[in-house]
Amino acid sequence: MSNVIETTGVVVRAETDQPKTVEMNGFGVGERNTLVISFATAVALIGTWWLIARLGLVPRLFLPTPQEVATQLGAVYRDGYAGASLGEHISASLFRIATAAAIAIAAGIPIGLLMGLNRWAKGIFDTPIEFYWPLPPLAYLPLMIIWLGIGETSKVTLLVLAMFAPICLSAQAGVRALPIERVNAARSLGARPWQLLVSIVLPSALPEILTGIRIALGVGWGTLVAAELIASNRGIGYMIMSASQFLATDVVFVGIGIIAACAFAFSAAVRLLEATLVPWKGKS
Amino acid sequence: MLKVDHASVYFRTRDGRTVHALDRVSLDIPDNSFVVALGASGCGKSTLLNAIAGFLPLSSGTITLDGRPVMRPGADRGVVFQKDTLLPWKSVVDNVALGLQFTGTPKAQRRTRAEELLFLVGLKDFAKAFPYELSGGMRQRVGIARALAADPDVLLMDEPFGALDSLTREQMQELLVSIWKTTGKRIFFITHSIEEALFLGTQLVVMSPRPGRIVARFELDFVREFARTGDARSIKMAPEFASLREEIRTILHGSDEIRSAAE
Repeated sequence: MSNVIETTGVVVRAETDQPKTVEMNGFGVGERNTLVISFATAVALIGTWWLIARLGLVPRLFLPTPQEVATQLGAVYRDGYAGASLGEHISASLFRIATAAAIAIAAGIPIGLLMGLNRWAKGIFDTPIEFYWPLPPLAYLPLMIIWLGIGETSKVTLLVLAMFAPICLSAQAGVRALPIERVNAARSLGARPWQLLVSIVLPSALPEILTGIRIALGVGWGTLVAAELIASNRGIGYMIMSASQFLATDVVFVGIGIIAACAFAFSAAVRLLEATLVPWKGKS
Repeated sequence: MLKVDHASVYFRTRDGRTVHALDRVSLDIPDNSFVVALGASGCGKSTLLNAIAGFLPLSSGTITLDGRPVMRPGADRGVVFQKDTLLPWKSVVDNVALGLQFTGTPKAQRRTRAEELLFLVGLKDFAKAFPYELSGGMRQRVGIARALAADPDVLLMDEPFGALDSLTREQMQELLVSIWKTTGKRIFFITHSIEEALFLGTQLVVMSPRPGRIVARFELDFVREFARTGDARSIKMAPEFASLREEIRTILHGSDEIRSAAE
């Protein structure tokens, strides 16, 4: 029996000399990469599609095989479709989306910030936004055409209206989430109102704003096809519409695939932007 | 001289009652002083600091800084908050330089100044780090450096070490004293720790809640002694320190009993 219990530190060395590193268990998805899972899901979905088409469970007319769609994509790329080349269709759609996004962002962020900061701005802008925002764009599309004609203006306006609200509302939410201590700290460092807006309010609201832009782009692509269904002779939506009239299911698939690819690229771009602009999101 | 003269604050609660948060508080913060306000939560010490900082208007009374009335927040009064309020998108050095950015100081110059201050608070190796990479104590040091960067006339500190563990807290107290000694800034410091109040203040005001008011004032010398000798332990072990600690504890508990007797 001893009065003193001696403890000796034991150093365990693995063969590789590399200690096992650990990190805090997170909650939710966090920063872990989902790329492989997503890719495998895509492969599985296309495989299922291929299998169903191959086994003839569904008539060819309704569901073409992946190979047929690929061949059709090549044909559309070479020869164009419905009076325009594939490039013209895509660039027409991209131009509309990009223009509308630029206008919606340029207007939505300042108006949303203002609505978060000023009682009058909130009171004034709330009424029209809450009125039109829940309306389906297709419901007011006829009005756009009657008022603005069948040219680009009516289509871009429709898109701007659809994309404006989520950006504006998210900017407003961003201001509301701003802690008062952060504002007070800046004020006691001598920030003037304009500096407060640029250096504190805008960056604080940026994570919310970027989420809003992502939602807006999604809404935008959805609305775009609707806008192009009526009175246009260019655009992916128009291409899908004219193909459906000839029951050219494979071209419809090509169109859907192109829209999906474009929307995915836009979403990835915003995510990249998020990673560059707000790497601190959720860490403070 | 920062002069608080008969400052009273009334709040209206959500259900329409009126709360008397601050009752005719008068306080002077002379040059080179370190004034500590001590009290339990709800005694109005944060209300007083918010009023001095200019975040909160007074119901009655005046606050003047070197003769100028305090109306709104300004760079002449640096504030260090209990919760760190660093900007998560800016690096440590840019956070420290924030006040200089607001005054339009050229970039190179504010970098240099910010790095000097980071050296002062012992964080010169962390200039390029981001706030979320730092510990609580380090963030508060950045907060102090940031408040000093604007070269304020007075430093207002709202329980800045309240969220820190006791070891870090003692280190921070000693760091703060050395900063006070080096820069010669007036400091108004809020705490609910008797020991911290005794150790740091040249002047100590004890506050009591409902309504928030000053119930006792002490002139202290421990902080000057520490600034001279650098020996914190012997100061805190000294019998005068212990007897003052007990005296203040009695005051704080006494005001508690008076209140419950009145209710």
